[in-house]
Order: sequence, then structure tokens, then C-alpha cells
Amino acid sequence: MKKKQVAITLGIMCFLLTIAICVQLKTMSSANSTVSQTLSDNELRDEVLRMKERYDNAFADLGNAQKELEKVRQEATQDNGTAEAKEQELKENNMLLGITDVTGEGVEVFLEDAATTDNNLNASWQIIHFDDLQWVINELRNAGAEAIEVNGQRIINTTAITCEGNIIKVNGEKIGSPFTIKAIGSQNLLYGALERAGSWLDEIRNAGNTAEVKKLDNITIVKYSGIIDSEYLKEDK
Amino acid sequence: MKKFKFRADITTVTVVVFIVCIVLVSVMLMQFRTIEQTDITEIETMRESELRDALVDWEARYDETITQLEAVNGKIGEYNKTIEDSEAASNLIDEELKESNILVGKTDVYGEGVTVTLVDNDNYKIIAENLIDLANELRYAGAEAISINEQRVLAATDIVDMAEYTYILVNSQRIEGPSYVVKAIGDKEYLSSILNLKGSGFVDRYTTLGYNVSSRQENRVEIPKYNGDFEINYMREVESE
Repeated sequence: MKKKQVAITLGIMCFLLTIAICVQLKTMSSANSTVSQTLSDNELRDEVLRMKERYDNAFADLGNAQKELEKVRQEATQDNGTAEAKEQELKENNMLLGITDVTGEGVEVFLEDAATTDNNLNASWQIIHFDDLQWVINELRNAGAEAIEVNGQRIINTTAITCEGNIIKVNGEKIGSPFTIKAIGSQNLLYGALERAGSWLDEIRNAGNTAEVKKLDNITIVKYSGIIDSEYLKEDK
Repeated sequence: MKKFKFRADITTVTVVVFIVCIVLVSVMLMQFRTIEQTDITEIETMRESELRDALVDWEARYDETITQLEAVNGKIGEYNKTIEDSEAASNLIDEELKESNILVGKTDVYGEGVTVTLVDNDNYKIIAENLIDLANELRYAGAEAISINEQRVLAATDIVDMAEYTYILVNSQRIEGPSYVVKAIGDKEYLSSILNLKGSGFVDRYTTLGYNVSSRQENRVEIPKYNGDFEINYMREVESE
């Protein structure tokens, strides 16, 4: 009687064990490929992070070296009137190029996608698009903006604003809603251009999105977070 | 005696079965966890190509930065050597200013590149939006200098329609239609390939819509300097501590 019980229990156990092992072996073999890929992916991810860190360090070093250069340049030119004027022009050039942080009066524009979808409005309009940014920037330029920044990206001579799928890129860096556009220039001119009746911001608001403009006495705009140089430009004599 | 031995067997069997069960359960738990993890990272494996792109991108930017860092350090060294020699210092700053002026847009420049010609036709008149679109795409394709009808396009350049689309202002200067010539200096092959990309390139998109637009690769494109003043009235450099 007991012998029979043990035998049955053992039998069931063996059966379950076999099934479980079979199932798991199968799962393992299908999972294995992705597991190893995940490993190499993580290595890749680490490598990307390491490379970015090396870049960040090099970029910080470059910033320091540029400050140092400004100092020695100033020292070298301080007793020479014409050289001093040139040194000043170089400083101004760097502000125009966007390789120094700048500050001054201006406006800050805040744009955000519509929070809820209103069925009476076109869904595609309830999102801030890359051409909305382009248009606002164009209006700021028209009103005399001297420096412009969008979500931490300085707008320089070669800045492109692109849209890849639903990702907006400025200077090749991804940015997303909400958008903060900062501009240095005459507060009143900049504000007036953006808030005039029938302006682009009105269009954005009519579509259900948020658009606000603030006048500020002191705005700081970051420098360009990359390298400006040229490979193809030659000077015409 | 025989009965007793059998009982001992049962105990052994029970213990063995128990241990097997524990092992089995823990193995299963481990495997469930592995599978769960693979599910999450499945999304991440899709981004592998993106990761590779990012790596190449950061490497390129790192190299660029190091090159520039070496150049700046070289200049610091040169200035240090000229501390006692104001003539040499003056020459150095002339050189720096020359390079800088080219990038700012204060000089006429030339180089290889493309010209894009846009002409009003019966279907479409060229408006500011089209030119903004084109300038943006040229910048995306790596253009180092751009002009629209001899007006240099810089960071502060506005392009606006005037008087109900009758004319366009670039840098507050009136540019005349019906034909617009947009020039760009950069890698001519790359600029041209981006512009003519099927479905997304400017020339392809606009031609498909019925615009009169064409592009040409050039070995020498000449782009004039910005002909206004670079006035700085509102911004000033942030003083470093």
C-alpha cells in the first residue's frame, strides 16, 4: 500500500520535473540570444556614456583654455592701443559666434503642447512643431534679437532645427515640449513683435497650446555646446 | 527488519524529492527573472543602431574638441612668448581676428558648394517660408556659409514676407523676385544629396509639389560678407568669477 503511494508520487514528480525541464530548456534557448545581445548592448551603452564623459571633460578643458587665452591675449596687448582694439573686437566676435555665455535684457517665451485633446480642434495642431519654433525665432530675429537660445541650445550661424519623426533636434540635440526660448534684445521690441495681434503665438494659442511671453531684465544665454570651425570657407581677397 | 528498511527508504525518498522540489522551484524562479529582464531589454535592443550612431557622434565631437583645445593651447603658448614683444603680439592677434572674422561673416568667402535656384511660376510664388525651409535644410547638411540673392544668412538673419507677399526682406534688405538664387558653401556632394533626397529633400519635395526649383553642385561658390553693422547693444559677456 505505502510502496504504491511512494511509487505514484515519484512517478508524478518525475513527470512534472521532465516537463518543467523541457519547457525551461526551450525558453532558455530562445531567450539566450537576446540575453547575449543585451549584454553587448549594455557594453555599448557604457561605451557611449564613457565617450560622452570624455567629450564633456574635453569641452570643459577647452572652455578653461579659452578663458586663459583671453587673459594672456589681454596681457600681451594691454600696452598697445590698436592691438587692444582688436582684442575687443575678438571678444565681440565670440559673442556673435555664440561661443561665450552672454547676458542682458530680453524676453523668455514658454511654449507647451495642449494638455488635453479637444476633439473640436485638429490634433496635429495641438502640438508645438519644429516650424513653430522656427517661426518664433524668425520673429525674434526680425525684432532685433542679438542672441537666442532654445532649451539650452544656442542658435548660431549654422544651427538647423529639424524634425525626425516626432523628435525635434536643435544643433543635433533632441529637445521636447515644453520649450523655453530666450532672446536678448530690446524687451519692448521683442515683446511687441511676439504679442502683436495676429502673431504666430496667437495661432499657437488658437490651436489649444500654451504660449507665454515674459519680459526680463536679466537673461543669461548659454554658449554653443559644440565646436565652430570651417573646412570649406576660404577668404576672398 | 525488512519493513524497517523499507521505511528508511521512504524517508530518504521524501528527503530527495523535497530537495529536488526546492531546486526546481528556485531554478524556475531564476529563469522567470531572466525572462522578465529580456522582455524589458527587448526594447533596448531595438536601439542598438541608435547607440552606434551616438558613439560615432560623440567620438567625432570629442576629436573636434581635442583639436580645438590643442589649437587654443598653442595660441596661449605663442602669446606667452610674445609678452615682451608687442609687435609679435599684434601679429598674433591679427591672425586670430582674421580667422574669427571669416566665421562671423565679416568677409567675402568662397569654396565648393551648391546653388539652388527658385523661380516663381504660375502655380507657386516663392515666399519667406520656402527660403527659411531651404536655409534650414542647407544648415542641416553642413553648410558653412549661406546667401540668398547676395544677402548673407547669419544667426540673426530674419526672412520675412512684406506687403501681402509682394516682396521678401532678408536682413531687412529687399530681395527681388521672380528668381531667387540661394548659395551655400560646404561639402558639395553631401549638400546636393540631402537636397535631392527622395521624399524628404528640399528640391525633391518642392519639385513634386509643382515648384520651379533646381540645384547645382559648384566647385567655386562666392558668398558676400554681411553688409550691415554687427551692432551689439543689449548683450554683454558673462563675467567669469
